[in-house]
Amino acid sequence: MDMSQYLRMFLDESEEHLQSLNQNLLELENNPNDDQLINNIFRAAHSLKGMAATMGFDKMANLTHEMENVLDKIRSKKMILTTEIVDILFSCLDRLDKLVREISNSSSEASDVEDIILELQNLENGKTVASSAKTSSVSLESEMMEFEEDDRVQILSHLKNNYFCYILNVELFKDCLLKAVRGFMVIKNLQEIGIIIKSIPSLKEIENEEFDHEFQILYVTKESEKEIHSAVMDITDVRSVDIIRIREEDLNQQNGTIEKVHQEIAAIAEKVEKVVNTPQNTGQDIKIAPTVRVDIDKLDSLMNLVAELLINKTRLEEISSRINVNNELFNDILQQLDRVTMNLQHTVMQVRMVPIERIFNRFPRMVRDLSKELNKNVNLIIEGAETELDRSIIDSLGDPLVHLLRNAIDHGIEDPKTRAINGKEEQAILRLAASQKGNEILIQVTDDGRGLDAKKISKKAIEKGILTQEECDKLSKQEKFNLILRPGFSTSEVVSDISGRGVGLDVVRRTVESLDGHIYIDTELGKGSTFNISLPLTLAITQALLVKVCDETYAIPLSVIEEADDITPDRVKHVQGQEVFLLRGNMIPLIWSHKLLGLPVPKLNEVDQLSVVVIGTGKKQIGLIVTELINQQDIVIKSLGEFLIDTPHISGATILGDGEVALILDIRNIA
Amino acid sequence: MKNLVAKKETLMGNRQQLVVFQIANEEYGVEILRTKEIHRYTKITRIPNAPHYVKGVINIRGEIIPVVDLRKRFGLEDEEIQENTRIITVLVKDFMIGLLVDDVNEVLWIDESGIEPPPFSTGSVDQEYLTGVGKIGERLIVLLNIEKILNLDTTLSTGRNVN
Repeated sequence: MDMSQYLRMFLDESEEHLQSLNQNLLELENNPNDDQLINNIFRAAHSLKGMAATMGFDKMANLTHEMENVLDKIRSKKMILTTEIVDILFSCLDRLDKLVREISNSSSEASDVEDIILELQNLENGKTVASSAKTSSVSLESEMMEFEEDDRVQILSHLKNNYFCYILNVELFKDCLLKAVRGFMVIKNLQEIGIIIKSIPSLKEIENEEFDHEFQILYVTKESEKEIHSAVMDITDVRSVDIIRIREEDLNQQNGTIEKVHQEIAAIAEKVEKVVNTPQNTGQDIKIAPTVRVDIDKLDSLMNLVAELLINKTRLEEISSRINVNNELFNDILQQLDRVTMNLQHTVMQVRMVPIERIFNRFPRMVRDLSKELNKNVNLIIEGAETELDRSIIDSLGDPLVHLLRNAIDHGIEDPKTRAINGKEEQAILRLAASQKGNEILIQVTDDGRGLDAKKISKKAIEKGILTQEECDKLSKQEKFNLILRPGFSTSEVVSDISGRGVGLDVVRRTVESLDGHIYIDTELGKGSTFNISLPLTLAITQALLVKVCDETYAIPLSVIEEADDITPDRVKHVQGQEVFLLRGNMIPLIWSHKLLGLPVPKLNEVDQLSVVVIGTGKKQIGLIVTELINQQDIVIKSLGEFLIDTPHISGATILGDGEVALILDIRNIA
Repeated sequence: MKNLVAKKETLMGNRQQLVVFQIANEEYGVEILRTKEIHRYTKITRIPNAPHYVKGVINIRGEIIPVVDLRKRFGLEDEEIQENTRIITVLVKDFMIGLLVDDVNEVLWIDESGIEPPPFSTGSVDQEYLTGVGKIGERLIVLLNIEKILNLDTTLSTGRNVN
């Protein structure tokens, strides 16, 4: 059977299971007595094992199998969850993750897992209080299959009626694909020639495929061992069947000598059964809406088509206004088209949206490991994980956020002692929050650590030759903080392997800006810092204000515009050589867009009117002077391509209704 | 078409097909396999702060394509847009670039044996922008190294007048 077509699915699902394992295990560490969590972990590990075995990835299957054994003991309270166990389980997850990656790269498992399996086995054997009631050691179980009182009575009565009693140990091939079906067929065959008193695991579990490759059956029949053997072996994929005859004296003996053990085991079995039953119940409660997995490329091309449609709609509108069509029907159709296009665009955007949870989920684990490694006490608070963002943005956002979190833990947050000296809580709070603000998504990474020191930063920047003393003196405090986002900057005295290689933050800035986003820093010395990342909801389509600068047309995304207005030149005042104007009592610095765009700047006394677009970035506002405001419209954002991507103040281009290209202005980084 | 060209190449030994165009009074060539289309002049949107030889961008069926002014790149004086002015779109690495040229003359085959390494001076054009000079009878056709012309061999930002 060709498995390659399932490989993709296997990888996707493995990733999901690993993520849920990581998450639940983290929570379990904090609430070690939460049965629901253990069940979730157990279920995920079990599914992973099943999938790996089906696909023939033995190392993964073996490792998860051993994990399951340990988890089973924790679940049945035969083992107490210690930090040590959690650590080992976490490293198991890392190994599994590694295996999955190896499989995705080369379709085979390269790394070895023997050592970690050994560790698990040591855990399992060393710390067990009673022998397992389930799986682990088959030989032990098959000979000592526990009979409860009811079973014994039943067997005895059958024995008196000239039945024989057997314990059957049926083993299926490891690569058997339809275990549940095979198991069911074995049971069906057996039921035709005898009576099944009980099975381990239960019949229901066998039907639900909740067993390994073996199961045991307590069986009474009038047939011979040979008949039973052939009845079972008739079924495909059955590897072997061990048949052990039980005589009356065996029962009595078991009853007599090991009764105590039995009671104990029965009690445990009962517990296990309870636990096993819970997930089944909860499983039925969860309603899963039908979904379709779609290749992201298909969504991309759908988006492109919608964009194309939008451009042509705009062209149609433009033409109709130019040739002055006054046909009612025509205008009706145009309006309809407008509505449909808008809905279509909205729906496509919705489809591409995924909750930011996707990347937030892996951070608790990372923060836990890091803070342990660096001896810091950090409480990570995640807010707004349900906030939705375009899939393509989310995918590129993971690395920058990892950098920022690492940076906060390594550089921002002090060690507990220093914190205590400074009168702070020993446990630092690291907040990762996402929220939607109009057309933008704001992601904040806030720590209550030592904050940034503008003086130290400027000193370092000058030392590193990033800028000169004179240049530095001209910078505002905020601009000095932003120096740490420049390439080649790192303030940490000690270069650790976690961060501080001086490559981190400028990469963060670059990534954010390539997503048409913006990053700025709020900080207070001694109190902590916040890194704010604002991102567009979607990369493809946005609303923009079209303006004219001289005779060139530019688009400014509405998301950065606070207001736009025409003012008379006499409202322009000069403060310390800087042109400003007053807007409702606020002094707003003015910048000529002509200057930024290499166009001749008109003299103030030569114009009767100025158009000012007030741009807000973070807490600052600037007024951008343009020649003329045109109108507001939806624009499709197109990249200028690799060749021109670094062009200052231009973040992309769009196609206007008349087919001409207008550039998209990006003034946030000069504000 | 592509197949045909490839087939012909194997049949005829080492021959190349070139798109030959005119700038000032010299003839230049680019391989036809990397040439996409030849367009009449359409309005070019200027890109502020871009390298001086980037004329701007054009819209070709919804795609934004940067246009390089070869006259500017070679340091020749500006010429008015003429009736014959063309924009040749070529594939460079994995993106498209438009070359603004005075005229497109023809498409022709050239023997590789007829291609000589660039001489130390080919008059107006820096030697580093060339891969060679093709000879067909008395005609000399300058073969362009487009990656070099676009500065892609070094960093993208050199030669850019920031601020």
